[in-house]
Amino acid sequence: MRKFLPVEDLARDERFNQITMNDRMADQRTAITTDSRPSRAANRIVPSRADASDAARGLMHGIFVGEIQALEGAGRTCWDFTTGSEAPFELKLDMARQCWDEARHVEISCKLSDWMGSEIGEYAENTVLFQAACSNDPVLRLAGVNRALEGLAIDVFTTMKEFGEVAGDQYLEFAEDWMLADEVTHVKMGSDWLRKITENDPERRKKALDFQSVVDKLFSYGGTRSESQESPIGLARRFRELAGFDDQEIDVIADLSLAALEERKAAVLEAQAALN
Amino acid sequence: MTVEVTPQTFTFVSFDSAYILRIAQRLIGIFGLEDQNIRIDINETTPLGKMHVEFGDPIVINIQSGAFEDFSRPRQQSEPATTQSLGRILLKVSDRLSPEFADAPADEDLTLMQVAIWETYCVGRLSRHDIEINRQRWLYNFRNRHGFNDASDRAFEKIWNSDKLTWDQLQSISDTAVALAQ
Repeated sequence: MRKFLPVEDLARDERFNQITMNDRMADQRTAITTDSRPSRAANRIVPSRADASDAARGLMHGIFVGEIQALEGAGRTCWDFTTGSEAPFELKLDMARQCWDEARHVEISCKLSDWMGSEIGEYAENTVLFQAACSNDPVLRLAGVNRALEGLAIDVFTTMKEFGEVAGDQYLEFAEDWMLADEVTHVKMGSDWLRKITENDPERRKKALDFQSVVDKLFSYGGTRSESQESPIGLARRFRELAGFDDQEIDVIADLSLAALEERKAAVLEAQAALN
Repeated sequence: MTVEVTPQTFTFVSFDSAYILRIAQRLIGIFGLEDQNIRIDINETTPLGKMHVEFGDPIVINIQSGAFEDFSRPRQQSEPATTQSLGRILLKVSDRLSPEFADAPADEDLTLMQVAIWETYCVGRLSRHDIEINRQRWLYNFRNRHGFNDASDRAFEKIWNSDKLTWDQLQSISDTAVALAQ
């Protein structure tokens, strides 16, 4: 079996349409309003939003394809590296356990999408998640996938769990809560292995954390996730703490996300000024 | 009477105004709105999908580009989405012009629950005009506004399967569902 599979070769049937971050950045339109009135500026996915059901369906589909790519990423880490010399057996065992969780999450997300009235492939699949899992250093993968990607999953699941809770959708609330518990474990695995493997290699640790920062910035693109109500997805501080992030790390992600939101708003204002 | 689509050419999205016009003309014929002057203004600067009507001569329908978009191929137009969105808004126009909906609140005064019952009434009728509709999507939307319970589902069924309701009847079905769930 081939090692180090490029993102272009991921197996998908004709229902899926994959897009890259470049495709997304090429879209000059924006859902972010530059109106400063609180009622207009809130984009958080909550039931009181007028388009709540459709926004939740879109996010649910994003979760579904994210779970597929997380499964593929963890699976590749089990296979791409030589046991012992490149990756400890116990790390691979953790990745195998994660594959088991992600496969279950794919099924749960698929059923939740049915429940919410979405079809597989109704929305584009952004492949940025798997791209973060293509590094040739397992430590960078742990930083990019387990800490950045699964960290984002914690934020997303918390937002969806709260949506289900407020809307009275018990299926959504409970399913998201169970998946959230798994994600906290996955992030913890990444944090623990990152510290353990780079214990005596500060340069490698710095490189991994720098890579995580790059991935976090990608996932914050356009201000999709931040502590501001203007972002559709919130930053789940408490669950990130449980997953092994310290306060300083969470503050850095919060600042990064807010900066991405402000950057996007400035770009929107500029584009609107150019139009007028 | 005239039907017009603006803009004629698009910058941010790959939409076809002539195609939108053809779909609109077909739906206007189905819903008996041929005696109205209608202009469809598309806001292509946002991916959101809100729609709003201004009654006058012409009747102006404001639509954000997300309402016509193929979400699996961003910025590309979707024929089903265009048909469904135009169908929903044109049925609302038709309702608003009828005396049976004289008591309906203005759009800006509609509660989220009232929006949900009216949307359900529109898409239920659309589904009987050979237009493909994902029923589960609208059931989920209805449940989000009326609760996840049997009374809510019964109300949805009733509205979905109806063709000749007044605003007061719609409101009554909604009120009954809410009362039964409490």
